[in-house]
Amino acid sequence: MKTVAVIFGGRSTEHDISIMTAISSVIKPLELSKDYIVHAVYINKAGEWFSDAKLKDIKFFQSGDINDWMNKTKSVRVLFKDGLTLIKPTKFGESKISVDIVFPAMHGTHGEDGELMGLLEMSGVAFVGCDMTSSAIAMDKVLAKQVTQSDGIISTPWVTINYSSVAKSSDLALQKIDSLKYPMFVKPAHLGSSIGISRVKDQEQLINAIEVAGHYDEKIIVEQEVSNLIEVTLPIIGNDELTLALLERPILKDENFFGFETKYMQGGKKGKNSDSKGSQGYSELPANIPKDIYRNAEEVGVAVYRSLGCSGIARIDMLIDSKTKKVYFNEVNPLPGGLYAHNWRMKGISPVELVTKLVDLAIDKKNKDDKYQTSFNTSYLKQF
Amino acid sequence: MIKKWISAYRMSFIRTIVYMLQASEYNLKDYFSWLIRVKSFKSVMYRKSLVPTTKTKLLLLILWLMIALGILAATAVGLSVQFSVIYKMFILAALFILMPVLISFGITIPLWLGNIFIQKPREKIIISKARSRLNDNKAIKIAIAGSFGKTTMREILLSVLGAGKSVVAPPGSYNTPMGVSKFINTLSGSEDIIIFELGEYYPGDVKFLAEIVKPDIGVITGVNEAHLSKFKNIENTQATIFELADYLNGSKLYVNGENELAKQKSKFYDSVLYSSKGCGQWIVNSSSTSLSGIDFVVSNKVKSLNLHSNLLGSHLLGSLLCAIEIAHQLGLKDDEIIKGVANTDSFEHRMQPKNIGGAIVIDDTYNGNFDGVIAGLNLLKSLKAKRKIYVTPGLVEQGSKSREVHNKIGQKIGEVNPDIVVLMKNSVTGYIVEGLKKAQYEGSLRIEDDPKNFYENINMFVSKDDVVLMQNDWPDSYN
Repeated sequence: MKTVAVIFGGRSTEHDISIMTAISSVIKPLELSKDYIVHAVYINKAGEWFSDAKLKDIKFFQSGDINDWMNKTKSVRVLFKDGLTLIKPTKFGESKISVDIVFPAMHGTHGEDGELMGLLEMSGVAFVGCDMTSSAIAMDKVLAKQVTQSDGIISTPWVTINYSSVAKSSDLALQKIDSLKYPMFVKPAHLGSSIGISRVKDQEQLINAIEVAGHYDEKIIVEQEVSNLIEVTLPIIGNDELTLALLERPILKDENFFGFETKYMQGGKKGKNSDSKGSQGYSELPANIPKDIYRNAEEVGVAVYRSLGCSGIARIDMLIDSKTKKVYFNEVNPLPGGLYAHNWRMKGISPVELVTKLVDLAIDKKNKDDKYQTSFNTSYLKQF
Repeated sequence: MIKKWISAYRMSFIRTIVYMLQASEYNLKDYFSWLIRVKSFKSVMYRKSLVPTTKTKLLLLILWLMIALGILAATAVGLSVQFSVIYKMFILAALFILMPVLISFGITIPLWLGNIFIQKPREKIIISKARSRLNDNKAIKIAIAGSFGKTTMREILLSVLGAGKSVVAPPGSYNTPMGVSKFINTLSGSEDIIIFELGEYYPGDVKFLAEIVKPDIGVITGVNEAHLSKFKNIENTQATIFELADYLNGSKLYVNGENELAKQKSKFYDSVLYSSKGCGQWIVNSSSTSLSGIDFVVSNKVKSLNLHSNLLGSHLLGSLLCAIEIAHQLGLKDDEIIKGVANTDSFEHRMQPKNIGGAIVIDDTYNGNFDGVIAGLNLLKSLKAKRKIYVTPGLVEQGSKSREVHNKIGQKIGEVNPDIVVLMKNSVTGYIVEGLKKAQYEGSLRIEDDPKNFYENINMFVSKDDVVLMQNDWPDSYN
């Protein structure tokens, strides 16, 4: 059996969501498949690494016992030799665990943004999901739009603001945004889960929103709202051959958007079914939109996935103007919360099948990448 | 053996003993069988846990007192000047080694005494009160006996007859003399019809219950190998169930004509057979089944009725026909019968469909008999699905016929050919696998070491358009 290390937590505002994704959507189905030996590797908010079977139980985190435990427990160390090896403290010393595949389950900064992937690529271990480059681009809303724009994919009009340059004077911000029309969305460029995002209808709201976003990120993006809006999202898995999930449409009131509270804190309207917690309960699955727009959205989703060089899994958010039928690229999430397992299940892929497919994709990608020559012997040094 | 003995020295041993007494329903024979059979006391409380009642609290107290006495005795021996050191060590070692045996068997003495001097007299009073209360009750009494399908028949009768009459029945699995009597003592006297299930565990059980209940109408749902370990042979089972027919002695008796053993025995009595073809004056003209239920048309000499039931599986058609015939005999109107049948719905853990993320999971885990297994597998065969998944631990209490029964089950599963078969690992798993091999089953076979974990996480294994059938249960007391 192959050994999988699931890495989660991290120094991120999405730390808690990462715990949930890791335990419920990755570790549990991997163990239920009985095909892998699974190790939980938790990075706390201070950036310390731990690994223990206790970390597979959500109650351990909910109860607060973890804090005392971390104070008494030695960190796990990581060795970059023959791939990746975990050196776990035991009662009588240490044990070395050779990892075959890493399953990153970190959301947000210092993890999902490519930092972890860079480390994994250097070690040469197979890992699930997008690589360092595509993760870094995907997690930067501005970069993502710039890259996809170069491939002819349209986005709603947008502007970038550096918070420190506008913090002293709001006039600078207003000048930059002059080309856009209200309402607008103000977002930290690098965050996910709708944290720090505001919808603004006038100047006063705009200034406040920039202040809020600036609390989380130096780089801020301001986007013009799409009229006659249909918001959709499309999870995709695959490396070369892609499998699309169902196009999903959050059901929202006009004045709201799919914010953090709605996404993660509220039970669904159809509370009886355990699958309808959180975002799932507020979604139309599949999106009930005209077939031609549906197909177009799928094509745009695939185009974005390829443009950014995604692999493994990602989720593409799009905005549709239902009158003009234009599909605008909005954002990419290289690690969807909960892997969007509820959507895949409706597509016909169970949570256990989903994680085993992702692990297989990781192995395929590594096998392919190993064929590329990245170093060779030269006589360069001899000339000195 | 050593593993078993060591596991008895865990702190949880006392609770485990009381849990198993409770799970055996304080039947000492069953408790002793388990005590001898169990391989380790370590993880007995697996599927369920001890339910705190006055009785269990008292038993726990007695057990702790026994341990305290043991410690006192050991201390007394240790401090005694009468014995030599070697002799003392021998006595203390013997006490230590025998303590689990003394506790686990010793607790049955106060239990037995309590049964004779407290429980039985109390039961006698309650049952006597129930008898006289029911004598004064003018309601029509319907009694149901059988190796299987009693609760399903009860629920169908409740729904169908309830559309036109005031009908009551004991809740849950109240089919013992005490359960039935406690229920009778709550009756108001205004009921039109009372339905009773007569549980059978040993010969004489059905007769005793029939004498309490005094039924006007009887229904025998079938005879099979359920509880064979208690009855020893199928003839005893058959005779016990037909104690209801003996009691009725010519009064209205309905018998499941699709069960061979019941049908055979019914020839000795004045009875009406029911089946998926009809019952009494009613014949089935057409029927179709799907995941939304059964649609069927029945007719007699003067009329026909179009009916829909939300129940799953054509094997339930016979029971529905029986209920329709009884309803007609008791004077319900046609529209009441149609409404009553439409009200029939799946019962908890009996062919109960649940939607999990677009997959249909049919929970039939309270089904504990061979005929029910076959009916469920036939249903699975008839359904359309992206993937068919069949889950079972096998059947308990099949006695000497266990291998034969489970081989047949394995073969039937093989014939139905689900995409995935999940077997919960226990003493009969191997027999089912033998049957699967005979049927040359080529699908995916998974053997689960941790059934509770699997059932709790079934949602992780399924996706849209899958159909999963989960049948049968394997209580902790059979491990």
